[in-house]
Amino acid sequence: MLRYATPLLFSCRIPPSIKTLAPLPSPSFLPIPDPKRPPPVCRYSSSTCNYVHLPFCRRRCHYCDFPILALGSSAANAAAGDDDDDDPRIANYVRLLLREIEATPKPGSGDEPPLQTVFFGGGTPSLVPPRLAAAVLGALRARFGVAARAEVSMEMDPGTFDGGRLREFVELVGVNRVSLGVQAFQEELLRACGRAHGAAEVREAIGIVRRCEGLENWSMDLISSLPHQTAEMWAESLRCAVDARPTHVSVYDLQVEKGTKFGQLYTPGEFPLPTESQSANFYKMASEMLTAAGYSHYEISSYCMEGYECKHNLTYWQNKPFYGFGLGSASYINGARFSRPRRIKEYAEWVQKLEEGAVNHETSNVEVKDLAMDAVMLSLRTARGLDLQSFRRSFGEGLAFSLCKAFRPFVENGLVVAMDEERGTIPPRDFIKLQISSDDELEDISSDDELEDRVAFIRLSDPDGFLLSNELISIAFGVISP
Amino acid sequence: MAALMRASREARSKLRPLSSISRRIATYHDPDPLASGKDRSFCSQSRHNCREGVVDLSQYPPERIRNFSIIAHVDHGKSTLADRLLELTGTIKRGHGQPQYLDKLQEAAMTPKSISFSLKLVLLCICTEVERERGITVKAQTATMFHRHTVGGTNSSDKQDSPSFLLNLIDTPGHVDFSYEVSRSLAACQGALLVVDAAQGVQAQTVANFHLAFESNLTIIPVINKIDQPTADPERVKSQLKSLFDLDPEDALLTSAKTGKGLDQVLPAVIERIPSPDGKRDSPLRMLLLDSYYDEYKGVICHVAVVDGALRKGDKIGSAATSQTYEVLDVGIMHPELTSTGVLFTGQVGYVVSGFKPAKHMVFSGLYPADGSDFDALNHAIERLTCNDASVSVMKETSTALGMGFRCGFLGLLHMDVFHQRLEQEYGARVISTIPTVPYIFEYADGSKIQVQNPAALASNPGKRVAACWEPSVIATIIIPSEYVGPIITLCSERRGEQLEYSFIDSQRALMKYRLPLREIIVDFYNELKSITSGYATFDYEDSEYQKSDLVKLDVLLNGQPVDAMATIVHNLKAQRVGRELVDKLKKLIDRQMFDITIQAAIGSKVVARETLSAMRKNVLAKCYGGDVTRKKKLLEKQKEGKKRMKRIGSVDIPQEAFHELFKIS
Repeated sequence: MLRYATPLLFSCRIPPSIKTLAPLPSPSFLPIPDPKRPPPVCRYSSSTCNYVHLPFCRRRCHYCDFPILALGSSAANAAAGDDDDDDPRIANYVRLLLREIEATPKPGSGDEPPLQTVFFGGGTPSLVPPRLAAAVLGALRARFGVAARAEVSMEMDPGTFDGGRLREFVELVGVNRVSLGVQAFQEELLRACGRAHGAAEVREAIGIVRRCEGLENWSMDLISSLPHQTAEMWAESLRCAVDARPTHVSVYDLQVEKGTKFGQLYTPGEFPLPTESQSANFYKMASEMLTAAGYSHYEISSYCMEGYECKHNLTYWQNKPFYGFGLGSASYINGARFSRPRRIKEYAEWVQKLEEGAVNHETSNVEVKDLAMDAVMLSLRTARGLDLQSFRRSFGEGLAFSLCKAFRPFVENGLVVAMDEERGTIPPRDFIKLQISSDDELEDISSDDELEDRVAFIRLSDPDGFLLSNELISIAFGVISP
Repeated sequence: MAALMRASREARSKLRPLSSISRRIATYHDPDPLASGKDRSFCSQSRHNCREGVVDLSQYPPERIRNFSIIAHVDHGKSTLADRLLELTGTIKRGHGQPQYLDKLQEAAMTPKSISFSLKLVLLCICTEVERERGITVKAQTATMFHRHTVGGTNSSDKQDSPSFLLNLIDTPGHVDFSYEVSRSLAACQGALLVVDAAQGVQAQTVANFHLAFESNLTIIPVINKIDQPTADPERVKSQLKSLFDLDPEDALLTSAKTGKGLDQVLPAVIERIPSPDGKRDSPLRMLLLDSYYDEYKGVICHVAVVDGALRKGDKIGSAATSQTYEVLDVGIMHPELTSTGVLFTGQVGYVVSGFKPAKHMVFSGLYPADGSDFDALNHAIERLTCNDASVSVMKETSTALGMGFRCGFLGLLHMDVFHQRLEQEYGARVISTIPTVPYIFEYADGSKIQVQNPAALASNPGKRVAACWEPSVIATIIIPSEYVGPIITLCSERRGEQLEYSFIDSQRALMKYRLPLREIIVDFYNELKSITSGYATFDYEDSEYQKSDLVKLDVLLNGQPVDAMATIVHNLKAQRVGRELVDKLKKLIDRQMFDITIQAAIGSKVVARETLSAMRKNVLAKCYGGDVTRKKKLLEKQKEGKKRMKRIGSVDIPQEAFHELFKIS
């Protein structure tokens, strides 16, 4: 019960780069009447962030609803996956990808800063031959430039690479951050979710990654609430993760999606899936064990050692623009969010159109309330929380006040935490007092200004607030767009 | 109290015209009936032409007028018989697919009739959704027919020279809740066709309707219908009519409205047996209001029967009850469409374009807009609808849980349902209605007495002792196949019923009379009765006096806060059980929220049932898929919309269905 009253751990761990939000841009593509309130997203702000989707997998995992292309288990015998390297499906796809990159217009005048992050996601990008991955990065470099110290991440699955192949990715392609799709350490769980690898490959892969020179930054993915998963198994997985000492851990709570094998078989909260309360408990275990091992819980499902936040993902959460290339990928450029077709045929047609200049790059009119909802939804996922000062400047004092008012009962019960500028927790009693005085229900012991001055951030508490983030964020949505 | 209620009942069933004072104002409209009669003398030659031109009503003195209605148990063929009569008189064309004109086809949806489907659809559009769904006549409809007949003559041969009679068929709704409307319609008649199904025989509503007609001093013509059925047994029906109503078996007409057999005897019997209306032609206008409704284009349309005098377009009329005056904008007959005649004479029935008897409200319920901001829309819809159905009482009230709304009084539960559905279907209003209640009387130790139409208005801790309370009761007549007697006795005693009578009307069927608290039958009694007896029970009730009872107010509390809209008044002995049911049901209906919710039922400060709904533990999308913000946002927006459909009480969100579901607990 006292857990969420524990003071927050993040004030010291937030690197300077994310302490301040992107400077507020000024050009006027939004019809905002108040000239003092500039829109939070700039039409011409350039993206320094890039996602590349490499959709190939051996087979589809039972929980997965991503746009992927299953290659079949031809390479099950070879850890190095050499058989796949000549697969024409991969080569053809990469060609399409290169065409898309080539045909994507550069925003602005041409003196934009180079890309700061490149993320090869999938799918299983490690199935793509290193030379092809290098070709993609080359194309990006040619088109947008890639900063010398850019974060280049790649998702890799156990059983798809050996030491040599990893070295190629690092040396030839320039990958400097690996995201290893471990998911579980138990043979039976891996089998139950249809993973193409077993527990032995997991241990082997961890060894390869740890031994790899020039690669100190790596992340491990784990999934909680798998069918038949027990608290003991979860604790074991967390212990193994801590023992492997990755710089970053991502813990995903299983989402049972429509159209997946799990979607047909299981109902959340019902056997063999853990109950809601067990599943909440798994989340808490992760938060406790990883925090105790020195990791910072900087986002709902992300933990890192100090300074090892995933820069790429931070872009998403900071509501900054990013490019997206490849099947089904999403981009956010010039204020417009766009998702590419999820089927290869339609994607190819779309690339064709892009080359012909038939794709409309005009931004649709984005409503202010949508921007406010994006800002709230994304920032509340993070430990940093919502920067109220900046929110006030962008969307007005009234909205910020209404938001605080709607969160009042949850500040009271510890799901939401209010913080001052030094990221010190404002005791719920004080927060409520500030609120009430602003409501003019009491004599004005303190003024609106005081509230404005004191409450600089609001965040969801760890773990209870994070666990109910959908509820809390949808309450905020109700305030922004009634 | 009892005496008072009986008095009002008698008043209803007597012919008691809502007298209206005619203060004629000289107008440009020439009232000379002879002149207009000459101009349009061709009209009486052909009924067809009559419809196109103006009917000369001055040709029909009271001696040539018959006003009658058809009364029957539901599904005994009233509507089909009415259609055949309209066809026989040429009022509607045979085979033109206007069957059941009077009911506007509400029964056709249930019983297969030999008409084309497309026409059914066309007609279905006319009738109210409620009527079509339930297959019952709710609003009375009326039609005027013309028929040549020589009294004492042998019909067909000398028909052309026979005098023409003006026959007004005044329809009555079938369901018991609407006996108020039946009384009104019967008050305008001098006779009634009592239609009984030749196979099914006398049913509960046959008995109820017969008594209403009998009390109104109507001449009753028994019609044994559906004699074409293989199981028809007219002789048995005749003996029932004799034993139950003392009707001479010789008087019964045998018909089949379906095949047409025996129909030719019906209108001659109407003309020869039913007396003509006995109004005074030279007296000032008095008329009886039968029905009123709202027409989008014409405004308020009233169906009236002229008792004395005449009513002309341009007249100013006053309501004796409210002293309000109205101008007659248009007047005419229903033939069956509104046909303007400019005048209505003594004994005639027609419509007046211009709203008027206080009904006794036995069921009350709060109606609130599902979305608080829709109050004006609901207000508007209720205004329009009460214009059509003046028997609903409406008072503004405010609930802390549901905001601004209305306390509405209804004649019965079906009436309430009908009103509710019409609000939703005809006016598009989204409505939350509170647990229906009956008017209770509480007397305190200090001698003060209050009538409680809204349980929320009764103080939970009044600070003074309740000396006595009373609740309205009804006398219920239940006719059931004898094998169901046991379960029905159990049902009635569970409902605090007192058996008054138990007899067998024939070898297979039992008749039981019970005195039951009205509260016990308003919610689900009829459904229970039907389900226990596989639909064979027939049920009718009449209001009876107030009974002393041990009543308590049961509050529902969420996190310690009483929800006024969920308060209910129950018998002390049932309070524990009802409280338990309410609490259990609410626990199922309310979704888990971000904090624990205690749900309690309490009498005053005594908690009789309690449950805790533990807080939701987890609702998180652990992964923000590859930056696909749009998808996640859609999901959260859906969640937000879900919250919007909830009613927030204190900090607890309650789904609207919860309010509806709570009704089902009695």
